[in-house]
Amino acid sequence: MKTTSLLLKPWTRREILRAGLAGIGASAMPLVFSRVMAADPAASNRILVVLEMSGGNDGLNTLVPYADDAYYRHRPKIGIRLEKLRKIDERYGFNGGMAGFERLYKDGRMAIVHGCGYAQPSFSHFTSMAYWHTGAPNSGEEYGWVGRVADAIDTPSTPNFIVNIDEVQSLAVRARDHVPVVFDDPEKFGRKGLYQTRPLLDRAPDMDADASASKHYLLEVAKSAREASQLVRDAWSGYKTPVDYGIVPVQLPKIASLIAAGMPTRLYYTSYRHNAFDTHVQQSDLHQRLLTYVSDAVEGFMKDMERIGRADDVTVLVFSEFGRRVPENTSLGTDHGTANYMYVIGKPVKGGHYGQPPSLTELDEGDNLVFTTDFRRVYASVIDGWLGCRDTEQLLSGKFESFPVFS
Amino acid sequence: MTTRQSVGGFALLALLLAPLACIAATGWTGDLTPIGQEDWNAERAAHLLERAGFGGTPEEIAQFAAMTPEAAVRRLVYHKGVANDLPAFDHSGIHDAGLEPFPASRPAATDLARDTGESMGIKVKPAGNRRLQPVANKFFYWLRASRLETNRVAYWWANRMLATNRPLEEKMALFWHGHFATSEEKVRDYRKMLKQNELFRAQGTGNFRDLLIGVAQDPAMLAFLDAGVNVKGAPNENFAREIMEMFSMGVGNYSETDIREAARAFTGWNFVDLDFVVTPEKHDETTKSVLGKQGAFDGVDIIDVILSQPVASEYVSGRLYRYFVRQDLSPALRGELGARLRESNYEIAPLLETIFMSRDFYSPPSMATHIKSPVELVISAYKKMGLTEVPGVPDFNDLTEALGQKLLYPPTVAGWANGKSWITPGLLLARGNFVYDTLFPDINFLPPDRYPLTDYKIGAVNEKLALGMDVTTATKPEAKEVTSMSMQADRDEDFNTRLASFRGWQMALQKVKPIPRATAQLDLSAMVLGAGCKSAREAVDYLLARFVSVPLDAASHERIAKFLESELGTDDLTAAASFLEEPLRTTLHLILSLPEYQLG
Repeated sequence: MKTTSLLLKPWTRREILRAGLAGIGASAMPLVFSRVMAADPAASNRILVVLEMSGGNDGLNTLVPYADDAYYRHRPKIGIRLEKLRKIDERYGFNGGMAGFERLYKDGRMAIVHGCGYAQPSFSHFTSMAYWHTGAPNSGEEYGWVGRVADAIDTPSTPNFIVNIDEVQSLAVRARDHVPVVFDDPEKFGRKGLYQTRPLLDRAPDMDADASASKHYLLEVAKSAREASQLVRDAWSGYKTPVDYGIVPVQLPKIASLIAAGMPTRLYYTSYRHNAFDTHVQQSDLHQRLLTYVSDAVEGFMKDMERIGRADDVTVLVFSEFGRRVPENTSLGTDHGTANYMYVIGKPVKGGHYGQPPSLTELDEGDNLVFTTDFRRVYASVIDGWLGCRDTEQLLSGKFESFPVFS
Repeated sequence: MTTRQSVGGFALLALLLAPLACIAATGWTGDLTPIGQEDWNAERAAHLLERAGFGGTPEEIAQFAAMTPEAAVRRLVYHKGVANDLPAFDHSGIHDAGLEPFPASRPAATDLARDTGESMGIKVKPAGNRRLQPVANKFFYWLRASRLETNRVAYWWANRMLATNRPLEEKMALFWHGHFATSEEKVRDYRKMLKQNELFRAQGTGNFRDLLIGVAQDPAMLAFLDAGVNVKGAPNENFAREIMEMFSMGVGNYSETDIREAARAFTGWNFVDLDFVVTPEKHDETTKSVLGKQGAFDGVDIIDVILSQPVASEYVSGRLYRYFVRQDLSPALRGELGARLRESNYEIAPLLETIFMSRDFYSPPSMATHIKSPVELVISAYKKMGLTEVPGVPDFNDLTEALGQKLLYPPTVAGWANGKSWITPGLLLARGNFVYDTLFPDINFLPPDRYPLTDYKIGAVNEKLALGMDVTTATKPEAKEVTSMSMQADRDEDFNTRLASFRGWQMALQKVKPIPRATAQLDLSAMVLGAGCKSAREAVDYLLARFVSVPLDAASHERIAKFLESELGTDDLTAAASFLEEPLRTTLHLILSLPEYQLG
């Protein structure tokens, strides 16, 4: 009931219907809860893809609360007018470049969680991203939240359970018992060497019980590399798709190729890199372009999952390490801020709005949004509701109530 | 002559291979007591060169082992007295005064031209089509030329690392580049990146306060952290945050209020071209409250307030320790190192001397346990191969970028992560592939500084224009690409962005000098024969001793020796001298593909 109350509070009846939440009456609620909380053997086939928009994406200019006059008061120059938006309901419209996200939302496949952040927010890319990566704000947690999920749901560890597509391994996927497969270019994911060297080159390394921690780690990774590289190259070379992912596919076709090839991976992590979304100066054109890339890529990915018959098994989580400050700055950009939306996207997702939208008039002393949803609630929602691991309290070092974003 | 050289070589080999007992080293962890002469040996000299530089050749190791440990360490740390005649960076001459100040974006550049009739030193055409085209061309020219020139700076720097007589000077410049990380991606001016690099080299082992002030007033840093918009009444917090969090104190030692107040102290700090300037009317002269102290602080005052915090000295010395020794650092040891740094008024060299002299530095957990960063891996491999120049094939920048560390392009202001993050399955494979590409150069290699074909289908535009196609047709996007340009179907326009991108590359290629494309000039045959090796087994022993810091197990050793013997068709090196090079290269590739090779 508390959840119901929270969910219902900001919406009129009309908005609930429009948002696709019709059908959840009091009589249906116990059924939903019982399904969510039940042990879920079907979860063993499910895949989570996490897409990070690095740099602190401006949520307010991504999904614009056009019905709130305060938005335009704070952003007289870079605020986006209704006629330039892709309206999704009576309160919100997506940035004009986000045709893909608009379609996903209107098809009921996108859950938008409002006001995501954490207490005592950091405005540093590195620090805040580390908090999101670890799921442990203001702490020195060593492992990533995705890595800890892998350790929790996959014991003993399955090789190639985690794939991170990036130049360098993300802290998010660092695990105690799993070695993530990290690559950027699948075609180059292999070892060069002449024919006569192959027996030694491709030999499985001998483990050494007396090795230093560094050497032990290297041997483990060498073993993993040998197995993973062949799988990845075969998957990519065998992958063909007619789906259009847009101009910047954001690594998603590589993920699609691995899913299509039946890689045992269940946790994929990738990002739009290099703090691309850090738009302090002259934001508008650049931001719209970046959002178009992400939106087109995610929509393309979902179409591709339908094509290969895995749409029922794949969910995408999209986030950034913070939002932007509510008032625009004097350089036609925005400075680092706090709360932001998170998006959970996929056919299994119950689309709609979740969480309490933060107020645009009651800002904190730094002119930032006050978060209304601890971001770990969204992690708990996918860990529990999608990946079937009910013990999120231990995993996330705290009790975070899930949103009912999965049927 | 030949006989004497062989004897010398054999002596070196014997020196390297002699079993060396690590007597009493097990109790050395955490001990800052200096290592004694009685414990000094070639293995420890090699360790010193590995960490305080980019590794040593057998000759260098022997030279340092013959010194006292004090002399060896001081030779590296107090290197200003060591002659080091290396060439200055050779500018291509791509910059002109009209480019300053460079516009924040292409729309800003063309808007300025539209509003004032001129931008970046280019006047608007009085009449005709695409009146703003020369302005747009100039904008893209500078972006591309500066990027190409930055790659030349990185290549020049790599050569310094390889050839220098002062390895710690370059190693410290590399450390500070990761600590005070700025990227050409945002700075967009190779001259600023070069100037900062030279600051790190000149002051890298000097006084930390001086260095910090130098960095705070450095145009690359000011550009990177948006100093230009840090003005009275509207302070921008980027620099204030980073100077506390990343540069001097670490997370948790300041509040958000401290950052906002400190940002006010740095208002008015900016750069014009390559010069630091303070604009008085943009500086907030009122009282600020930072870290418990009040005053009408300016930026230098803030730096002094920060450095008066004990945690600052502990943070900085901890960063240096983790870079040079190992990740594991006890709070007590960190406190001790911090105290020494404070007592010396933040002089860096004495702290480095303390670290490199300490028994802790030579304790088992510190030796051969460091996972080399990509740049360390590449430069130390080239050094141990006996190269005197960084090869142009494979391309140094593409290579190190593929391994995760492109010089002058750190991924964020936090620099690069370290240690294990360098090693993933893909990156480990790529490390072996770098060796292969060096020993067996790719005949399909195309110099990336001359073939910029990956951007926006520029190659196609190039060919279409050359065949006489009109600009609109030549730059028409392919069907799958939907951009704003598709709305400009007619010929009449102020400028064409794709044309500007193409012309920008063309102009940049005309101006920027090429990176030399020699392959690696190494002679493994001369190396092993010169060292006095007689058999395949001895050659493998020599290569392992020369290149690898971690001893291999007997079985691995045997497999590699058998491989070389099989490739040679004999165990007698003299008999195989005429065809020895290729088998040695394949053997070296095997050795350097081992997981153990990543450790130093």
